[in-house]
Amino acid sequence: MDELVKAITAALEDCELVLGWARDPATGAGRPERFTSAGQAQEAIFDATCVHNLAVHLPRLKQRRVGIVVKGCDARSVVELVVEREVERERVQVIGVGCDGVLDLKRIWRRHGYGVAIEDDGETLLVDGSEVERQPLLQHKCRHCLDADPSIYDVVVGGRTAEGPEPRGERQELAERFREMTPSQRRDFWRRQFARCIRCYACREACPMCFCRDVCIMQTQVPHWAGGEVNPKEAEMIQLIRVGHLAGRCTGCGECERACPVEIPLMLLMEEQNRALEEMLDYRAGTDIEARPPLLTFDPDRDLWGDE
Amino acid sequence: MKFIAREDIPRWLERLAQAAAVWTPRRAPDGGETVLFLPWEQGSEPELDRFTDLSAKHLLLPASEKLFPFQYRLGGEGEQIEIGAAPATPESVVLFGARACDARATVVLDALFMQSPEKGYLAPYYRRRRQALAVITLACTRADAACFCSSWEEGTASREGSDVMLFPHEDGYLAEAVTGRGEELIGGEPFSERDAGPPDTAVTDQVPLAGLQEKFTAVFSRLDFWEEVTARCISCGYCTYACPTCHCFNIFDEMRDDRCGERCRSWDACMFYLYTLETSGHNPRPTIAHRYRNRIGHKFSYYPENQGTFLCTGCGRCIRGCPVSLDIRDVLRKVGDAR
Repeated sequence: MDELVKAITAALEDCELVLGWARDPATGAGRPERFTSAGQAQEAIFDATCVHNLAVHLPRLKQRRVGIVVKGCDARSVVELVVEREVERERVQVIGVGCDGVLDLKRIWRRHGYGVAIEDDGETLLVDGSEVERQPLLQHKCRHCLDADPSIYDVVVGGRTAEGPEPRGERQELAERFREMTPSQRRDFWRRQFARCIRCYACREACPMCFCRDVCIMQTQVPHWAGGEVNPKEAEMIQLIRVGHLAGRCTGCGECERACPVEIPLMLLMEEQNRALEEMLDYRAGTDIEARPPLLTFDPDRDLWGDE
Repeated sequence: MKFIAREDIPRWLERLAQAAAVWTPRRAPDGGETVLFLPWEQGSEPELDRFTDLSAKHLLLPASEKLFPFQYRLGGEGEQIEIGAAPATPESVVLFGARACDARATVVLDALFMQSPEKGYLAPYYRRRRQALAVITLACTRADAACFCSSWEEGTASREGSDVMLFPHEDGYLAEAVTGRGEELIGGEPFSERDAGPPDTAVTDQVPLAGLQEKFTAVFSRLDFWEEVTARCISCGYCTYACPTCHCFNIFDEMRDDRCGERCRSWDACMFYLYTLETSGHNPRPTIAHRYRNRIGHKFSYYPENQGTFLCTGCGRCIRGCPVSLDIRDVLRKVGDAR
């Protein structure tokens, strides 16, 4: 990981801070860290436990010059943030890392206990000293990843050791099952899922594209889109608002689902919408930094916000 | 000591369910690996080897509850508001398979919500649920990397808040009644007698708590300190909602039409910007650093000062599920070390 440390150290000559990962002493897994000095950058790591999408922090840091370490999927968030003019490309130093997929740590921890020893070299995964099948323990998004290599970067570190993952897995099965459902079956399915929602808004706060942050329409009194009660009906409304607001903007990073404390398969909603929009509009959010997102373009002859 | 074989647990639960609403740790339906405290149902399998993702505090403080219905009526003296009765709650509830940290949380909450009427607040909704609740606690023989209940003297073997303690033993559990209600719960079938003392329970990570109140006060105004320790926080409400002791709520009216509605109460979280936003537009806790500082202050300074106990039982849920791996123990240690 010397290469990564060097890249962060170099970026720090130009940036106030670099967003990356260091090892959490309690679990040995990666945790988000802000590197501000060369000395501290020595702690930087990247491996399959570095699950977080650090782009979520960029909108809050937009006045500052920052560096950021990104996986392929995280890079798409940076692209979309630039496209939507939430982040200025010139202010951000992007350090791309090659990725073999990141682990579904919560699943591993739920099964084996929080902080269980994890060893992974990109091909072989050892949990608590025993080899386990790696593919089913990757995040859902990694099992059908199309963007393992960052699409934008100023410098790229490391490469993938494995081929891209096999694009199958239980999520695809769930999606297929979902597509076969009648509308009322779908409603029952989601009511069952949303029965667990506690409205902690982790899905929203972990989303790099949910940058309305403190003024989210889900919680306004006027208009009163969603009531204040915690029940499946309100949770459904909230997620419909979220899905609608992310139409053509969701890059599929999966952070909403990863952040959900009760495993509501939120990405199923997002992926279904992304798939439908891609068919309709031939557009994937976060893939082209010069793009004019169809659903954010009011007049194709003018610039994005019509400010030319 | 009393003993119950593992295979007899369903029989016992069935018996308990005849007289009470029983809640056990269970896999959530269609919920992957998530384990929650859910209502026991005939044939449902309690998950006794896993720690629940969320606490059981909803049995005392539901995530959302209707306080009372109301209706506006035009009468002889102009408009009147008619207030209906609070919805009924179960008279008897058994929480089965709590851990010592969950059980102790009820005592921590009692310090605020069960004060004598002369001394403090009347919390009839809490009181009614609390009096209905009996807790059967499963002592932990294993701890994970997030547990820190041993920061308190009795740790995993604490009996505070429990009516019955279960200790894993051979092919079942030794049962010890802690209260009179507990005696009733483990009376009769399917318990037998077994000659054994309570086995050793796990010891967890320990966070130094002595002097924390003063140290918090000393570091309170150093916003740079709080900005640094919360840099990775994204200000969601997970930690507060998963916490067995966080108890903040919001009260609001949900109108069903323009004349009648219900006064409701839902969990609220000090990590949200809206929590302290004032009508004027001013927000005394505008940043994540301000809000997280309050979270620590309430748990480890204000609550102990006002109620005589820390607002934390070391269950570690805020650590396990945090989307950004923010570890409250790190923050507490840094508060302790700050000068």
